[in-house]
Amino acid sequence: MRGFAKWTVWVVVAALAALPGWAAAKTLKIGSLSPLTGQYAADGNDIKQGVEIAIAQWEAKGGVPGYDEIEYLPQDSGCDGKQAVSAANKLVNLGVVGVIGAYCSSATLPASEVLMEGDVVMITPASTNEKVTERGHKLMFRACGRDDDQAKVVVEFLSRELKAKRVAIVDDKTTYTAGLAKNIKKFGKGKLEFVAHEHVNQGDKDFSGVLTKIKATRPDVLYMSLYNPEGNLMAIQARRLGLKAALMSEDAVYHPNYLTIAKDAGEGTFFTFGQPPSEDIPEVAAFIKAYSAKYGKPGSYSAYAYDAANILLGAVARVGADDPGKLAEAIRATRMQGASKYIQFDEKGDSGSTYKVLVVKDGKFVPYWDPETGKRY
Amino acid sequence: METLIQQLINGVTLGSVYALIALGYTMVYGIIQLINFAHGEIFAAGGYIGVITLSLLNSRGVLESHPVLGLALAFLLAMAYCAFLAVALERVAYRPLRKASRLALLLSALGMSIFFSNGMMLCQGVYDKAYPTQLYATGQFTVGGAVVSYIQVYIVAGAVVLMVALNLFVNRTRLGKAMRSTAQDRTMSALLGINANRTITITFVIGAILAAAAGVMVGLYYGSVRFDMGFVPGIKAFAAAVLGGIGNLTGAVLGGMIIGLVEVFAAGYLASEYKDVFAFIILILVLYFRPTGIMGEQVDDTRV
Amino acid sequence: MATDLIRLGVVLAWGFVLLVPMLGARLGFDTFAFEWTRIWKVMGVLAVGGLLVVAQRAVSARRPDRAHAQHRSRVHVPAAWGWAALGVVAVVFPWFADNYARDVAINVLVYVTLGLGLNVVVGLAGLLDLGYIAFYAVGAYTYALLNTHFQIPFWLALPIGCVVSAGAGAVIGYPTLKMRGDYLAIVTLGFGEIIRLVLNNWDAVTEGPNGILGIKAPGIYYPVFGEGAVTFVHFYLKSLLWLYFVALAIAVVTVVGVHRLDRSRVGRAWISIREDETAAELTGIPTLKVKLLAYMLGAVFAGLAGAFFAAKVRYVNPSSFVFIESALVLCIVVLGGMGSIPGIILGAAAIIVLPEVFRGLELYRMLAFGGAMTVMMVFRPEGLIPAGRRKRELRGEAAAEGDAGA
Repeated sequence: MRGFAKWTVWVVVAALAALPGWAAAKTLKIGSLSPLTGQYAADGNDIKQGVEIAIAQWEAKGGVPGYDEIEYLPQDSGCDGKQAVSAANKLVNLGVVGVIGAYCSSATLPASEVLMEGDVVMITPASTNEKVTERGHKLMFRACGRDDDQAKVVVEFLSRELKAKRVAIVDDKTTYTAGLAKNIKKFGKGKLEFVAHEHVNQGDKDFSGVLTKIKATRPDVLYMSLYNPEGNLMAIQARRLGLKAALMSEDAVYHPNYLTIAKDAGEGTFFTFGQPPSEDIPEVAAFIKAYSAKYGKPGSYSAYAYDAANILLGAVARVGADDPGKLAEAIRATRMQGASKYIQFDEKGDSGSTYKVLVVKDGKFVPYWDPETGKRY
Repeated sequence: METLIQQLINGVTLGSVYALIALGYTMVYGIIQLINFAHGEIFAAGGYIGVITLSLLNSRGVLESHPVLGLALAFLLAMAYCAFLAVALERVAYRPLRKASRLALLLSALGMSIFFSNGMMLCQGVYDKAYPTQLYATGQFTVGGAVVSYIQVYIVAGAVVLMVALNLFVNRTRLGKAMRSTAQDRTMSALLGINANRTITITFVIGAILAAAAGVMVGLYYGSVRFDMGFVPGIKAFAAAVLGGIGNLTGAVLGGMIIGLVEVFAAGYLASEYKDVFAFIILILVLYFRPTGIMGEQVDDTRV
Repeated sequence: MATDLIRLGVVLAWGFVLLVPMLGARLGFDTFAFEWTRIWKVMGVLAVGGLLVVAQRAVSARRPDRAHAQHRSRVHVPAAWGWAALGVVAVVFPWFADNYARDVAINVLVYVTLGLGLNVVVGLAGLLDLGYIAFYAVGAYTYALLNTHFQIPFWLALPIGCVVSAGAGAVIGYPTLKMRGDYLAIVTLGFGEIIRLVLNNWDAVTEGPNGILGIKAPGIYYPVFGEGAVTFVHFYLKSLLWLYFVALAIAVVTVVGVHRLDRSRVGRAWISIREDETAAELTGIPTLKVKLLAYMLGAVFAGLAGAFFAAKVRYVNPSSFVFIESALVLCIVVLGGMGSIPGIILGAAAIIVLPEVFRGLELYRMLAFGGAMTVMMVFRPEGLIPAGRRKRELRGEAAAEGDAGA
């Protein structure tokens, strides 16, 4: 017990050191929540880098009117509610006006409760679960699409274009993937026969057992409602087992890694994803150029994060950030061509879904089918 | 029937990988009674060196002209690297603790596990690294309707060769004899002129070589490696080592096969999301009825 | 000095071999490049650090009678003062802190509770438990489910959560406690994983990975003296300030409880089992029952912490209960000093606060955490503040000599 008093002093010093201090200059603080470590760090970094590109461009143009500088405070939220809540608390305390994030719906939902209580605007670039904008929060926005819209496109595509009958689904039971699987089954009732619905856990590597089981049900399509690392692995293993069914997946697996890792096994896989970045649109081209110059190929959420940051900074430039309510109204009124789609918010804070079907052809993602016209490109 | 054979093949492949990792655990445990948590990370490091070597060779066009040579080089370099890593690990984190409590040793190992996996993340980034080969497409044949790819054959054959070589080494060579005697009674064998520290280092090196081989095999089989790939297989392999009777080489192989088969069959016939639960339940049941594992002998009255 | 330099050279050469491929190879999507700059940077840092250590060793080797000097420099402060200071700080601190510091402080208190609970199992009874976080999960889910389905308030759910956790402790403990040493470690690890996977997959009850939202914070009734009558108004302790005091209360209950257990008959039975189970059994201690009791009581404290955690975050999901959390709690116990209550309080503060302080170095903090854990074990295995009894055990001879001399 000797030296205990001395240690007590150290604890106090450490606790005081933990108190963040901040400068008095007129700084615009924006934060982000995304997984920077752990399993989904790849997508989380894409989000962080997307926001960084947007901020760099604003600064190059002379910054946001009314502010001397922009301070960006990226936080690691993991894919985990607890970590996200703690990071959100920290951001509220640091006095951010808006937060881009989070990635997993299971982190976004609890974190948003904290941010809403702290009157901080939140724009998620990646969480597509319906609940995110269905809770009536005025400060909650979504730059990406919604699960139920995505599910409708999937069902239309499978039944009308592929003329598939027997569909097997695998999900990893997270808010996003399980929600999507449920919606597909709901909208596909009567149109498709769901011969198998299996679940795996996040972090699994070997799917041979479950794929062999699925193969025995002779599906026409294997729908992989997963996140990226598991999706890559499952595609390889499915082909290796000789599963002939068409593969289809969603935006969380859509990533350049899918092409390099799954290689030939990924050939012909269909994806739903919000408007594939066509380089004909100048805004998209500009983004891809700026991003590639600094970080290499954009990941699947880079463009959404970039747009979300531009929406936020644009709204601040118009009405300032002193009144969160006014800021939210300015965001709601945003109309602009972004790098991911044309942005236009509705009452709930959704910016509309632009899901299209893509296919992997010769090691590239190419547009395949447009749900609006019901035709191939 | 076709499905059953297929699941057996799946299970044996997975089991071979677990067995190779489990051997490292069981050898280290046998000799210094330490759960070497960092063993899983050594396995991951092997996977990384494999992908680095193959990418280098691929970018120089060597892999295309001499594929067998390239693969052999990948395995050898990975093994050499992991041996270096294991020696450093033993020297820095375990040797100073020879006389410390078991718990201190265990936590030191846990610390190294966290350190290595984060170190690999910082060095090589958070993204999966793709193996530049298309080995899953090297061809396959069917047995009773079940698909067997050559890579699976290589994995199982490679594992068997390494296990037989290890068995011969431990039972037939002087070094192997020294290892066995150090494992039984360190003080006594030191009195008889066996250098305990050197023997322990050799044990770590052999365990690391097996883990490195497993790492490259897994990288080839699954097509990619990742900084956190060592943790879960590490725990499973450790469970396999305990299941077989820790300290026992045959037991580790048997345990690895059982865990692999249980997982695959649980995924195929029960529920995939509960496969790890079944693996652990089997472990607990076996230990409840045979507290020293399937092939284990009575362990000492150990405490923390 | 010279040998030290040679050793440093060997260490650097070894590190160089290990770093070159890992740090140098830059794998693009289908490209390979090699980069030396990062390697030289890291090697430079290692070399400077190594030289500093060598220099320090050379200086201290020349200074005679080092141990004696160190002994004299120690100031003896009675333990009661330390406790009083800690108590004052604990009560005053939140009023001056911002929400973020309060949040961190609450986490510290939760981990103090967990650490002390695990201390009963590991530190006192000597049973290595690698799945302790499972009981934390049971406590958290018990409150979450009772509250969201049956609107049972926090204070009523707290004892229920403890009972359920203790039950879980008994169910898990009974088959496992027959095993010894490392077999116990892997089986508890297995049970920890089983509980997490069941929470993750039993959708009908636990909502799976989505977790349970909408849990109520602890509430209190306070009297309002109105016209002639006293009415009680219900008030949710939602703000971090109030939650801090709830956490403090739980931590204080735990500290007192563990302190009393340590000095009790059962506590002594645990220690005798830890020291020599066979001898303990021979002196008539019903070892299985006593061990089971340690397990259940450890689980009770985890249940308390878990229920509070659910009430604070107002959200639970299975990813809060992964193996690394069990390792973290174990780390707190060992870092602070097994069996030492002040040590564990300090350990919890260090483990929770330091990563927050270094959040700026986000990516490096887990690396530093892992490295520090090993360094700690190598240089100070008895913990920051070793328990008196344990210290005498670990440094037996030195302490005995010192006592004789004094």
